[in-house]
Amino acid sequence: MILKLDMAGATPIYQQIRNQIVFGVATGQLRVGEPLPTVRQLAADIGVNPMTVSKAYTLLKEEGVIVIDRRHGAQISPVCPREEPMDGEFDDRASLLISEARMKGASEETLKAHILRLIDDVYRRKEVSQ
Amino acid sequence: MILLLGMVLWLVFGVMAASSLLFRHYHDSQILGITLSRAHARQPEVQRVVRSFQRACYLVLALSALASGVLLIPVVQRYAEMSLLVLVMLNLLANWCVISHFQGELRQIKEKNQWTYSRKKIMTVDLSVTREKGRSGVSPFWVWLFLPLSFAPMAVLLLHPALRQRCPLGMSLIGPLCQLLAIFLYYQMRNRHVRVPAEKTEQNLQLARREERINSLCATWCALAMLVFWGLFNLAMLYAPGGFLVVVPVAVLTISLLWIARWQQKKTREAEDALLGTVSEEEENLQEDSSTWKWGCYHNPDDPRVFVPKRIAGIGWTINIGRPAGKAVGLGTLALIAAVISFVAYSGSQDYQITARGDQVMIDAAMYDMTIERDQVDAVSVIDQLPSGTRTNGYGGMEKSYGHFYFDGYGACMIYVYNNAGSFIVMRLKGTDPGYVIVNGQTGAETQALYQTLSGWLAE
Repeated sequence: MILKLDMAGATPIYQQIRNQIVFGVATGQLRVGEPLPTVRQLAADIGVNPMTVSKAYTLLKEEGVIVIDRRHGAQISPVCPREEPMDGEFDDRASLLISEARMKGASEETLKAHILRLIDDVYRRKEVSQ
Repeated sequence: MILLLGMVLWLVFGVMAASSLLFRHYHDSQILGITLSRAHARQPEVQRVVRSFQRACYLVLALSALASGVLLIPVVQRYAEMSLLVLVMLNLLANWCVISHFQGELRQIKEKNQWTYSRKKIMTVDLSVTREKGRSGVSPFWVWLFLPLSFAPMAVLLLHPALRQRCPLGMSLIGPLCQLLAIFLYYQMRNRHVRVPAEKTEQNLQLARREERINSLCATWCALAMLVFWGLFNLAMLYAPGGFLVVVPVAVLTISLLWIARWQQKKTREAEDALLGTVSEEEENLQEDSSTWKWGCYHNPDDPRVFVPKRIAGIGWTINIGRPAGKAVGLGTLALIAAVISFVAYSGSQDYQITARGDQVMIDAAMYDMTIERDQVDAVSVIDQLPSGTRTNGYGGMEKSYGHFYFDGYGACMIYVYNNAGSFIVMRLKGTDPGYVIVNGQTGAETQALYQTLSGWLAE
Protein backbone atom coordinates (compact mmCIF):
# COMPACT_ATOMS: atom_id res chain seq x y z
CA MET A 1 0.00 0.00 0.00
CA ILE A 2 1.23 3.50 -0.81
CA LEU A 3 0.92 6.32 1.74
CA LYS A 4 0.77 9.86 0.37
CA LEU A 5 1.47 12.35 3.14
CA ASP A 6 1.07 16.09 2.74
CA MET A 7 4.05 17.34 4.73
CA ALA A 8 2.88 20.97 4.70
CA GLY A 9 -0.83 20.27 5.15
CA ALA A 10 -3.03 21.30 8.09
CA THR A 11 -3.78 17.67 9.09
CA PRO A 12 -1.09 16.34 11.47
CA ILE A 13 1.15 13.69 9.91
CA TYR A 14 0.27 11.05 12.52
CA GLN A 15 -3.42 11.60 11.69
CA GLN A 16 -2.72 11.23 7.96
CA ILE A 17 -0.86 7.95 8.59
CA ARG A 18 -3.72 6.65 10.74
CA ASN A 19 -6.40 7.71 8.22
CA GLN A 20 -4.64 6.16 5.24
CA ILE A 21 -4.00 2.86 7.02
CA VAL A 22 -7.69 2.73 8.04
CA PHE A 23 -8.62 3.43 4.40
CA GLY A 24 -6.15 0.75 3.24
CA VAL A 25 -7.72 -1.85 5.56
CA ALA A 26 -11.28 -0.85 4.58
CA THR A 27 -10.53 -1.10 0.87
CA GLY A 28 -8.58 -4.34 1.21
CA GLN A 29 -5.20 -2.88 0.22
CA LEU A 30 -3.96 -4.08 3.62
CA ARG A 31 -5.03 -7.61 4.54
CA VAL A 32 -5.53 -9.20 7.91
CA GLY A 33 -2.17 -10.34 9.35
CA GLU A 34 -0.15 -8.18 6.95
CA PRO A 35 2.85 -6.75 8.80
CA LEU A 36 3.45 -3.00 8.90
CA PRO A 37 6.97 -1.49 8.92
CA THR A 38 8.51 -0.87 12.32
CA VAL A 39 8.10 2.60 13.85
CA ARG A 40 11.78 3.36 13.19
CA GLN A 41 11.71 2.10 9.60
CA LEU A 42 8.65 4.14 8.69
CA ALA A 43 9.84 7.27 10.53
CA ALA A 44 13.25 7.09 8.79
CA ASP A 45 11.63 6.62 5.39
CA ILE A 46 9.21 9.51 5.80
CA GLY A 47 11.84 11.68 7.49
CA VAL A 48 9.88 12.40 10.66
CA ASN A 49 10.42 11.83 14.35
CA PRO A 50 9.68 8.21 15.42
CA MET A 51 7.24 9.65 17.98
CA THR A 52 4.98 10.78 15.11
CA VAL A 53 4.68 7.24 13.72
CA SER A 54 4.42 5.81 17.21
CA LYS A 55 1.45 8.10 17.89
CA ALA A 56 -0.30 6.89 14.72
CA TYR A 57 0.32 3.22 15.62
CA THR A 58 -0.96 3.79 19.18
CA LEU A 59 -4.18 5.30 17.79
CA LEU A 60 -4.62 2.37 15.39
CA LYS A 61 -3.98 -0.10 18.19
CA GLU A 62 -6.54 1.58 20.44
CA GLU A 63 -9.08 1.44 17.60
CA GLY A 64 -8.36 -2.25 17.08
CA VAL A 65 -7.07 -1.77 13.53
CA ILE A 66 -3.66 -3.21 14.31
CA VAL A 67 -2.12 -5.47 16.93
CA ILE A 68 1.42 -4.99 18.17
CA ASP A 69 3.45 -7.78 19.67
CA ARG A 70 7.12 -7.97 20.52
CA ARG A 71 7.99 -10.77 18.10
CA HIS A 72 6.09 -9.78 14.99
CA GLY A 73 5.78 -6.01 15.38
CA ALA A 74 2.66 -4.25 14.09
CA GLN A 75 0.17 -6.27 12.05
CA ILE A 76 -3.30 -5.65 10.70
CA SER A 77 -5.67 -7.23 13.19
CA PRO A 78 -8.59 -9.46 12.28
CA VAL A 79 -11.76 -7.42 11.93
CA CYS A 80 -13.99 -7.92 14.97
CA PRO A 81 -17.54 -6.92 13.92
CA ARG A 82 -19.00 -4.62 16.52
CA GLU A 83 -22.56 -4.91 17.68
CA GLU A 84 -23.11 -1.26 16.81
CA PRO A 85 -20.54 -0.18 14.21
CA MET A 86 -22.25 3.19 13.77
CA ASP A 87 -22.01 4.64 17.25
CA GLY A 88 -22.68 8.18 18.44
CA GLU A 89 -19.24 9.40 17.37
CA PHE A 90 -19.81 8.10 13.84
CA ASP A 91 -23.14 9.91 13.68
CA ASP A 92 -21.57 13.14 14.92
CA ARG A 93 -18.76 13.05 12.35
CA ALA A 94 -21.04 12.07 9.45
CA SER A 95 -23.60 14.74 10.41
CA LEU A 96 -20.89 17.35 10.54
CA LEU A 97 -19.64 16.44 7.06
CA ILE A 98 -23.21 16.50 5.66
CA SER A 99 -23.84 19.88 7.31
CA GLU A 100 -20.64 21.32 5.85
CA ALA A 101 -21.62 20.08 2.37
CA ARG A 102 -25.09 21.62 2.72
CA MET A 103 -23.61 24.96 3.81
CA LYS A 104 -21.44 24.89 0.70
CA GLY A 105 -24.59 24.61 -1.41
CA ALA A 106 -24.90 20.86 -2.12
CA SER A 107 -28.46 19.73 -2.72
CA GLU A 108 -29.84 16.65 -0.97
CA GLU A 109 -29.93 14.61 -4.18
CA THR A 110 -26.39 15.52 -5.17
CA LEU A 111 -25.12 14.72 -1.70
CA LYS A 112 -26.90 11.36 -1.57
CA ALA A 113 -25.52 10.39 -4.99
CA HIS A 114 -22.04 11.47 -3.97
CA ILE A 115 -22.09 9.52 -0.71
CA LEU A 116 -23.40 6.42 -2.49
CA ARG A 117 -20.55 6.68 -4.98
CA LEU A 118 -18.01 6.88 -2.13
CA ILE A 119 -19.58 3.87 -0.41
CA ASP A 120 -19.44 1.91 -3.68
CA ASP A 121 -15.84 2.95 -4.15
CA VAL A 122 -14.72 1.56 -0.76
CA TYR A 123 -16.79 -1.63 -0.86
CA ARG A 124 -16.01 -2.43 -4.51
CA ARG A 125 -12.30 -1.98 -4.03
CA LYS A 126 -12.49 -4.38 -1.15
CA GLU A 127 -14.31 -6.95 -3.30
CA VAL A 128 -11.82 -6.55 -6.17
CA SER A 129 -8.80 -6.98 -3.89
CA GLN A 130 -10.38 -10.09 -2.33
CA MET B 1 57.58 23.51 -2.63
CA ILE B 2 56.06 25.42 -5.56
CA LEU B 3 55.52 22.08 -7.33
CA LEU B 4 53.64 20.75 -4.29
CA LEU B 5 51.44 23.87 -4.15
CA GLY B 6 50.81 23.55 -7.90
CA MET B 7 49.78 19.90 -7.49
CA VAL B 8 47.43 20.77 -4.64
CA LEU B 9 45.94 23.60 -6.71
CA TRP B 10 45.36 21.42 -9.79
CA LEU B 11 43.87 18.71 -7.62
CA VAL B 12 41.40 21.25 -6.19
CA PHE B 13 40.56 22.56 -9.69
CA GLY B 14 40.07 19.00 -10.94
CA VAL B 15 37.78 18.13 -8.04
CA MET B 16 35.71 21.29 -8.57
CA ALA B 17 35.35 20.58 -12.30
CA ALA B 18 34.46 16.90 -11.72
CA SER B 19 31.90 17.83 -9.04
CA SER B 20 30.30 20.39 -11.34
CA LEU B 21 30.20 17.88 -14.19
CA LEU B 22 28.44 15.33 -11.94
CA PHE B 23 25.72 17.94 -11.66
CA ARG B 24 24.82 17.57 -15.37
CA HIS B 25 23.49 14.00 -15.21
CA TYR B 26 19.81 13.30 -14.65
CA HIS B 27 19.63 12.23 -11.02
CA ASP B 28 16.87 12.39 -8.40
CA SER B 29 14.59 13.90 -11.08
CA GLN B 30 16.95 16.82 -11.56
CA ILE B 31 19.53 18.24 -13.93
CA LEU B 32 21.74 20.99 -12.49
CA GLY B 33 19.42 21.05 -9.47
CA ILE B 34 16.37 21.87 -11.64
CA THR B 35 13.45 19.46 -11.41
CA LEU B 36 12.56 17.82 -14.73
CA SER B 37 10.58 14.75 -15.66
CA ARG B 38 12.46 11.94 -17.40
CA ALA B 39 10.74 12.75 -20.71
CA HIS B 40 11.50 16.48 -20.42
CA ALA B 41 15.12 15.80 -19.50
CA ARG B 42 15.59 14.03 -22.85
CA GLN B 43 14.32 16.98 -24.91
CA PRO B 44 16.93 18.32 -27.40
CA GLU B 45 16.87 21.86 -25.95
CA VAL B 46 17.65 20.52 -22.46
CA GLN B 47 20.43 18.32 -23.83
CA ARG B 48 21.83 21.37 -25.68
CA VAL B 49 22.06 23.28 -22.38
CA VAL B 50 23.75 20.28 -20.74
CA ARG B 51 26.37 20.15 -23.52
CA SER B 52 27.02 23.91 -23.22
CA PHE B 53 27.36 23.53 -19.47
CA GLN B 54 29.91 20.75 -19.99
CA ARG B 55 31.96 22.95 -22.32
CA ALA B 56 31.81 25.86 -19.84
CA CYS B 57 33.10 23.59 -17.04
CA TYR B 58 36.07 22.52 -19.17
CA LEU B 59 36.72 26.18 -20.02
CA VAL B 60 36.77 27.16 -16.33
CA LEU B 61 39.17 24.27 -15.65
CA ALA B 62 41.50 25.33 -18.48
CA LEU B 63 41.45 29.01 -17.45
CA SER B 64 42.10 28.09 -13.82
CA ALA B 65 45.05 25.89 -14.83
CA LEU B 66 46.43 28.81 -16.87
CA ALA B 67 45.89 31.23 -13.98
CA SER B 68 47.87 28.92 -11.68
CA GLY B 69 50.91 29.97 -13.75
CA VAL B 70 51.05 33.18 -11.68
CA LEU B 71 52.63 31.08 -8.93
CA LEU B 72 55.76 30.97 -11.09
CA ILE B 73 56.20 34.76 -10.76
CA PRO B 74 58.78 35.43 -8.01
CA VAL B 75 56.84 38.37 -6.50
CA VAL B 76 53.69 36.21 -6.20
CA GLN B 77 55.72 33.37 -4.69
CA ARG B 78 56.36 35.56 -1.65
CA TYR B 79 52.62 35.38 -0.94
CA ALA B 80 52.13 31.88 -2.32
CA GLU B 81 49.64 30.69 0.34
CA MET B 82 47.41 33.74 -0.05
CA SER B 83 47.63 33.48 -3.86
CA LEU B 84 46.62 29.82 -3.58
CA LEU B 85 43.56 30.76 -1.55
CA VAL B 86 42.62 33.55 -3.97
CA LEU B 87 42.94 31.19 -6.98
CA VAL B 88 40.81 28.53 -5.28
CA MET B 89 38.15 31.13 -4.37
CA LEU B 90 38.13 32.47 -7.95
CA ASN B 91 37.74 28.94 -9.31
CA LEU B 92 34.89 28.30 -6.88
CA LEU B 93 33.20 31.54 -7.92
CA ALA B 94 33.61 30.75 -11.63
CA ASN B 95 32.08 27.29 -11.20
CA TRP B 96 29.22 28.74 -9.17
CA CYS B 97 28.57 31.38 -11.88
CA VAL B 98 28.53 28.70 -14.59
CA ILE B 99 26.07 26.53 -12.64
CA SER B 100 23.79 29.51 -11.85
CA HIS B 101 23.83 30.66 -15.48
CA PHE B 102 22.81 27.27 -16.88
CA GLN B 103 20.25 26.74 -14.10
CA GLY B 104 18.69 30.01 -15.30
CA GLU B 105 18.61 28.69 -18.90
CA LEU B 106 16.88 25.49 -17.78
CA ARG B 107 14.31 27.50 -15.81
CA GLN B 108 13.62 29.59 -18.93
CA ILE B 109 13.08 26.43 -20.99
CA LYS B 110 10.67 25.13 -18.34
CA GLU B 111 8.80 28.41 -18.32
CA LYS B 112 8.63 28.62 -22.11
CA ASN B 113 7.27 25.08 -22.45
CA GLN B 114 5.12 25.36 -19.32
CA TRP B 115 6.61 22.25 -17.76
CA THR B 116 5.14 22.70 -14.30
CA TYR B 117 5.09 20.11 -11.55
CA SER B 118 3.26 20.02 -8.26
CA ARG B 119 4.46 22.39 -5.54
CA LYS B 120 2.74 20.44 -2.78
CA LYS B 121 5.13 18.65 -0.46
CA ILE B 122 3.74 15.15 -0.77
CA MET B 123 5.86 12.38 0.72
CA THR B 124 5.07 9.07 -0.92
CA VAL B 125 5.92 5.89 0.96
CA ASP B 126 5.25 2.34 -0.15
CA LEU B 127 4.77 0.29 3.03
CA SER B 128 6.11 -2.88 1.34
CA VAL B 129 9.28 -1.02 0.31
CA THR B 130 9.74 0.44 3.80
CA ARG B 131 9.29 -2.99 5.36
CA GLU B 132 12.06 -4.43 3.16
CA LYS B 133 14.61 -1.73 4.00
CA GLY B 134 18.01 -3.12 4.94
CA ARG B 135 17.51 -6.56 3.36
CA SER B 136 19.00 -6.05 -0.10
CA GLY B 137 22.14 -4.08 0.69
CA VAL B 138 25.74 -5.25 0.95
CA SER B 139 26.43 -6.72 4.39
CA PRO B 140 27.67 -4.22 7.01
CA PHE B 141 30.37 -6.78 7.90
CA TRP B 142 32.89 -5.06 5.60
CA VAL B 143 32.52 -1.52 6.97
CA TRP B 144 32.76 -2.86 10.52
CA LEU B 145 35.85 -4.88 9.52
CA PHE B 146 37.58 -1.73 8.21
CA LEU B 147 37.20 -0.06 11.64
CA PRO B 148 39.69 -2.32 13.54
CA LEU B 149 41.99 -2.30 10.48
CA SER B 150 42.15 1.50 10.67
CA PHE B 151 43.84 1.15 14.08
CA ALA B 152 46.90 -0.45 12.41
CA PRO B 153 48.92 2.83 12.24
CA MET B 154 48.23 3.40 15.94
CA ALA B 155 49.49 -0.11 16.73
CA VAL B 156 52.69 0.56 14.74
CA LEU B 157 53.24 3.83 16.65
CA LEU B 158 52.67 2.09 19.98
CA LEU B 159 55.18 -0.64 19.09
CA HIS B 160 57.79 1.81 17.72
CA PRO B 161 57.87 4.92 19.94
CA ALA B 162 60.64 6.51 17.82
CA LEU B 163 58.18 6.87 14.92
CA ARG B 164 55.91 9.06 17.06
CA GLN B 165 58.26 11.96 16.42
CA ARG B 166 57.25 11.89 12.76
CA CYS B 167 53.58 11.14 13.31
CA PRO B 168 52.04 11.98 16.71
CA LEU B 169 49.97 9.27 18.41
CA GLY B 170 46.91 11.53 18.66
CA MET B 171 46.86 11.91 14.88
CA SER B 172 46.45 8.15 14.45
CA LEU B 173 42.94 8.48 15.91
CA ILE B 174 41.80 10.42 12.84
CA GLY B 175 41.62 7.22 10.73
CA PRO B 176 39.29 5.32 13.10
CA LEU B 177 37.14 8.45 13.46
CA CYS B 178 36.84 8.66 9.66
CA GLN B 179 35.92 4.96 9.57
CA LEU B 180 33.17 5.60 12.13
CA LEU B 181 31.87 8.33 9.84
CA ALA B 182 31.99 5.86 6.94
CA ILE B 183 29.91 3.39 9.01
CA PHE B 184 27.38 6.17 9.69
CA LEU B 185 27.34 6.94 5.94
CA TYR B 186 26.77 3.23 5.18
CA TYR B 187 23.64 3.03 7.33
CA GLN B 188 22.34 6.37 6.04
CA MET B 189 22.91 5.34 2.42
CA ARG B 190 21.36 1.91 2.93
CA ASN B 191 18.27 3.33 4.59
CA ARG B 192 17.82 6.46 2.49
CA HIS B 193 14.35 7.17 1.20
CA VAL B 194 13.70 5.70 -2.21
CA ARG B 195 11.22 7.46 -4.43
CA VAL B 196 7.96 5.68 -5.11
CA PRO B 197 7.51 6.51 -8.76
CA ALA B 198 5.04 3.78 -9.72
CA GLU B 199 1.61 2.75 -8.49
CA LYS B 200 2.59 -0.91 -8.67
CA THR B 201 4.30 -2.15 -5.52
CA GLU B 202 6.28 -4.80 -7.43
CA GLN B 203 7.95 -2.12 -9.58
CA ASN B 204 8.70 0.04 -6.53
CA LEU B 205 10.14 -2.97 -4.70
CA GLN B 206 12.46 -3.88 -7.57
CA LEU B 207 13.73 -0.31 -7.85
CA ALA B 208 14.20 -0.02 -4.06
CA ARG B 209 16.16 -3.30 -3.94
CA ARG B 210 18.45 -2.21 -6.79
CA GLU B 211 19.01 1.25 -5.28
CA GLU B 212 19.73 -0.16 -1.83
CA ARG B 213 22.28 -2.54 -3.33
CA ILE B 214 23.94 0.32 -5.29
CA ASN B 215 23.91 2.73 -2.34
CA SER B 216 25.27 0.25 0.20
CA LEU B 217 27.95 -0.89 -2.26
CA CYS B 218 29.00 2.77 -2.77
CA ALA B 219 29.15 3.34 0.99
CA THR B 220 31.30 0.21 1.40
CA TRP B 221 33.65 1.42 -1.34
CA CYS B 222 33.85 4.83 0.35
CA ALA B 223 34.91 3.11 3.58
CA LEU B 224 37.51 1.06 1.67
CA ALA B 225 38.83 4.20 -0.07
CA MET B 226 39.12 5.85 3.34
CA LEU B 227 41.07 2.86 4.69
CA VAL B 228 43.45 2.82 1.70
CA PHE B 229 43.93 6.59 2.05
CA TRP B 230 44.69 6.20 5.73
CA GLY B 231 47.27 3.48 5.11
CA LEU B 232 49.02 5.42 2.32
CA PHE B 233 48.89 8.67 4.29
CA ASN B 234 50.62 7.11 7.29
CA LEU B 235 53.24 5.46 5.08
CA ALA B 236 53.94 8.85 3.48
CA MET B 237 54.16 10.55 6.87
CA LEU B 238 56.49 7.92 8.36
CA TYR B 239 58.75 7.04 5.47
CA ALA B 240 58.68 10.03 3.11
CA PRO B 241 59.29 13.09 5.28
CA GLY B 242 58.92 16.43 3.58
CA GLY B 243 55.23 16.10 2.87
CA PHE B 244 55.51 15.76 -0.91
CA LEU B 245 54.10 12.24 -1.10
CA VAL B 246 51.18 13.15 1.19
CA VAL B 247 49.52 14.56 -1.93
CA VAL B 248 49.34 11.03 -3.43
CA PRO B 249 46.92 9.50 -0.87
CA VAL B 250 44.84 12.70 -0.92
CA ALA B 251 44.62 12.44 -4.72
CA VAL B 252 43.78 8.71 -4.50
CA LEU B 253 40.98 9.37 -1.99
CA THR B 254 39.52 12.32 -3.92
CA ILE B 255 39.56 10.54 -7.28
CA SER B 256 38.07 7.39 -5.71
CA LEU B 257 35.20 9.33 -4.09
CA LEU B 258 34.43 11.13 -7.34
CA TRP B 259 34.49 7.85 -9.27
CA ILE B 260 32.17 6.23 -6.71
CA ALA B 261 29.75 9.19 -6.95
CA ARG B 262 29.75 8.93 -10.74
CA TRP B 263 29.24 5.14 -10.65
CA GLN B 264 26.36 5.51 -8.22
CA GLN B 265 24.65 8.10 -10.45
CA LYS B 266 25.13 5.94 -13.55
CA LYS B 267 23.85 2.72 -11.99
CA THR B 268 20.84 4.43 -10.38
CA ARG B 269 19.99 6.03 -13.71
CA GLU B 270 20.27 2.67 -15.50
CA ALA B 271 18.07 0.98 -12.89
CA GLU B 272 15.43 3.71 -13.21
CA ASP B 273 15.53 3.52 -17.02
CA ALA B 274 15.16 -0.26 -16.98
CA LEU B 275 12.36 -0.43 -14.43
CA LEU B 276 10.49 2.80 -14.98
CA GLY B 277 10.68 3.17 -18.74
CA THR B 278 6.92 2.73 -18.98
CA VAL B 279 5.93 4.87 -15.99
CA SER B 280 3.95 7.93 -17.08
CA GLU B 281 4.78 11.47 -16.03
CA GLU B 282 1.66 11.64 -13.84
CA GLU B 283 2.64 8.45 -12.07
CA GLU B 284 6.14 9.76 -11.47
CA ASN B 285 4.56 12.17 -8.98
CA LEU B 286 7.18 14.87 -9.60
CA GLN B 287 7.39 17.79 -7.18
CA GLU B 288 9.24 21.05 -7.43
CA ASP B 289 11.60 21.12 -4.51
CA SER B 290 13.16 24.52 -5.09
CA SER B 291 11.18 25.93 -2.17
CA THR B 292 13.14 23.77 0.29
CA TRP B 293 16.55 24.93 -1.01
CA LYS B 294 17.89 28.31 -0.01
CA TRP B 295 21.39 29.71 -0.72
CA GLY B 296 22.41 26.26 -1.94
CA CYS B 297 21.45 24.67 1.39
CA TYR B 298 18.46 22.61 2.45
CA HIS B 299 16.01 24.90 4.30
CA ASN B 300 12.94 23.25 5.77
CA PRO B 301 11.89 24.24 9.31
CA ASP B 302 9.17 21.52 9.24
CA ASP B 303 11.71 18.73 8.70
CA PRO B 304 13.13 17.58 12.07
CA ARG B 305 16.32 16.19 10.47
CA VAL B 306 19.50 18.25 10.88
CA PHE B 307 21.53 16.23 8.35
CA VAL B 308 19.83 15.42 5.05
CA PRO B 309 21.11 13.73 1.86
CA LYS B 310 22.44 16.07 -0.82
CA ARG B 311 20.15 16.46 -3.76
CA ILE B 312 22.85 16.41 -6.43
CA ALA B 313 25.41 13.66 -6.31
CA GLY B 314 23.31 11.35 -4.18
CA ILE B 315 26.37 10.73 -2.05
CA GLY B 316 27.18 12.87 0.93
CA TRP B 317 25.12 14.96 3.29
CA THR B 318 24.19 18.54 3.91
CA ILE B 319 22.58 20.42 6.77
CA ASN B 320 19.03 21.65 7.22
CA ILE B 321 19.55 25.35 7.87
CA GLY B 322 15.86 25.69 8.68
CA ARG B 323 16.50 24.07 12.09
CA PRO B 324 18.32 25.89 14.95
CA ALA B 325 20.88 23.04 15.25
CA GLY B 326 21.47 23.21 11.48
CA LYS B 327 22.02 26.99 11.70
CA ALA B 328 24.54 26.44 14.52
CA VAL B 329 26.43 23.78 12.51
CA GLY B 330 26.43 26.00 9.40
CA LEU B 331 27.63 29.10 11.21
CA GLY B 332 30.23 27.05 13.10
CA THR B 333 31.60 25.67 9.81
CA LEU B 334 31.73 29.17 8.29
CA ALA B 335 33.50 30.47 11.42
CA LEU B 336 36.03 27.62 11.18
CA ILE B 337 36.72 28.37 7.50
CA ALA B 338 37.08 32.09 8.30
CA ALA B 339 39.46 31.25 11.17
CA VAL B 340 41.66 29.05 8.92
CA ILE B 341 41.77 31.72 6.17
CA SER B 342 42.55 34.44 8.75
CA PHE B 343 45.28 32.27 10.29
CA VAL B 344 46.91 31.65 6.89
CA ALA B 345 46.65 35.34 5.95
CA TYR B 346 47.90 36.58 9.33
CA SER B 347 50.72 34.01 9.49
CA GLY B 348 51.84 34.84 5.97
CA SER B 349 51.93 38.58 6.58
CA GLN B 350 53.58 38.70 10.05
CA ASP B 351 57.38 38.85 10.46
CA TYR B 352 59.11 37.36 13.48
CA GLN B 353 60.40 39.68 16.16
CA ILE B 354 63.43 38.24 17.98
CA THR B 355 64.74 40.39 20.84
CA ALA B 356 67.40 39.65 23.46
CA ARG B 357 66.69 41.53 26.69
CA GLY B 358 68.15 40.85 30.12
CA ASP B 359 68.29 37.12 30.74
CA GLN B 360 65.76 36.30 28.06
CA VAL B 361 65.38 35.97 24.30
CA MET B 362 61.81 36.67 23.28
CA ILE B 363 60.42 35.40 19.98
CA ASP B 364 57.18 36.99 18.83
CA ALA B 365 55.42 34.87 16.17
CA ALA B 366 51.71 34.35 15.50
CA MET B 367 50.37 31.76 17.98
CA TYR B 368 53.86 30.31 18.62
CA ASP B 369 55.48 32.96 20.86
CA MET B 370 58.44 31.69 22.88
CA THR B 371 60.72 32.93 25.65
CA ILE B 372 64.14 31.36 26.21
CA GLU B 373 66.08 31.88 29.45
CA ARG B 374 69.86 32.39 29.20
CA ASP B 375 70.60 29.36 31.43
CA GLN B 376 68.50 27.14 29.12
CA VAL B 377 70.86 27.69 26.16
CA ASP B 378 73.81 25.34 25.79
CA ALA B 379 75.38 26.64 22.56
CA VAL B 380 74.67 28.73 19.45
CA SER B 381 75.91 27.83 15.96
CA VAL B 382 75.12 28.60 12.30
CA ILE B 383 74.18 26.06 9.60
CA ASP B 384 73.71 26.64 5.85
CA GLN B 385 70.81 24.31 5.26
CA LEU B 386 67.83 23.12 7.25
CA PRO B 387 68.04 19.39 8.00
CA SER B 388 65.36 17.13 6.56
CA GLY B 389 62.36 16.51 8.76
CA THR B 390 58.63 16.98 9.17
CA ARG B 391 56.30 19.53 10.67
CA THR B 392 54.58 18.30 13.83
CA ASN B 393 52.40 21.31 14.53
CA GLY B 394 52.94 24.73 13.03
CA TYR B 395 52.97 26.77 9.84
CA GLY B 396 54.97 25.76 6.77
CA GLY B 397 54.70 28.28 3.98
CA MET B 398 56.66 29.06 0.84
CA GLU B 399 58.56 31.94 2.44
CA LYS B 400 58.72 30.96 6.07
CA SER B 401 58.07 28.19 8.53
CA TYR B 402 57.48 28.21 12.24
CA GLY B 403 56.20 26.03 15.05
CA HIS B 404 57.01 22.49 16.19
CA PHE B 405 59.11 20.44 13.76
CA TYR B 406 61.02 17.17 13.95
CA PHE B 407 64.42 17.12 12.20
CA ASP B 408 66.69 14.13 11.53
CA GLY B 409 69.69 14.24 13.88
CA TYR B 410 68.11 16.99 16.00
CA GLY B 411 64.81 15.58 17.26
CA ALA B 412 62.03 17.92 18.41
CA CYS B 413 62.76 21.55 17.42
CA MET B 414 61.01 24.91 17.49
CA ILE B 415 61.79 26.86 14.35
CA TYR B 416 61.22 30.45 13.23
CA VAL B 417 62.86 30.69 9.83
CA TYR B 418 62.68 32.38 6.46
CA ASN B 419 63.13 29.34 4.18
CA ASN B 420 65.22 31.03 1.50
CA ALA B 421 67.57 33.14 3.67
CA GLY B 422 70.52 30.73 3.16
CA SER B 423 71.74 30.46 6.77
CA PHE B 424 70.14 29.44 10.06
CA ILE B 425 71.06 29.97 13.72
CA VAL B 426 70.75 26.86 15.87
CA MET B 427 70.34 27.30 19.64
CA ARG B 428 70.93 24.01 21.46
CA LEU B 429 68.85 23.88 24.64
CA LYS B 430 69.39 21.84 27.80
CA GLY B 431 66.05 20.02 27.57
CA THR B 432 64.78 17.73 24.82
CA ASP B 433 61.35 19.19 24.13
CA PRO B 434 62.38 21.16 22.20
CA GLY B 435 66.04 20.20 22.04
CA TYR B 436 66.81 23.00 19.56
CA VAL B 437 65.46 26.37 18.52
CA ILE B 438 66.31 27.41 14.95
CA VAL B 439 65.91 31.05 13.87
CA ASN B 440 67.23 33.41 11.17
CA GLY B 441 66.72 36.81 9.57
CA GLN B 442 65.23 37.61 6.18
CA THR B 443 68.67 37.85 4.55
CA GLY B 444 72.12 36.41 5.20
CA ALA B 445 73.28 39.79 6.59
CA GLU B 446 70.34 39.98 8.99
CA THR B 447 71.01 36.41 10.13
CA GLN B 448 74.68 37.27 10.73
CA ALA B 449 73.69 40.35 12.80
CA LEU B 450 71.22 38.26 14.80
CA TYR B 451 73.91 35.64 15.40
CA GLN B 452 76.26 38.34 16.74
CA THR B 453 73.52 39.62 19.06
CA LEU B 454 72.70 36.15 20.37
CA SER B 455 76.40 35.21 20.82
CA GLY B 456 76.99 38.47 22.69
CA TRP B 457 73.92 37.93 24.84
CA LEU B 458 75.03 34.40 25.70
CA ALA B 459 78.57 35.54 26.55
CA GLU B 460 77.34 38.30 28.93
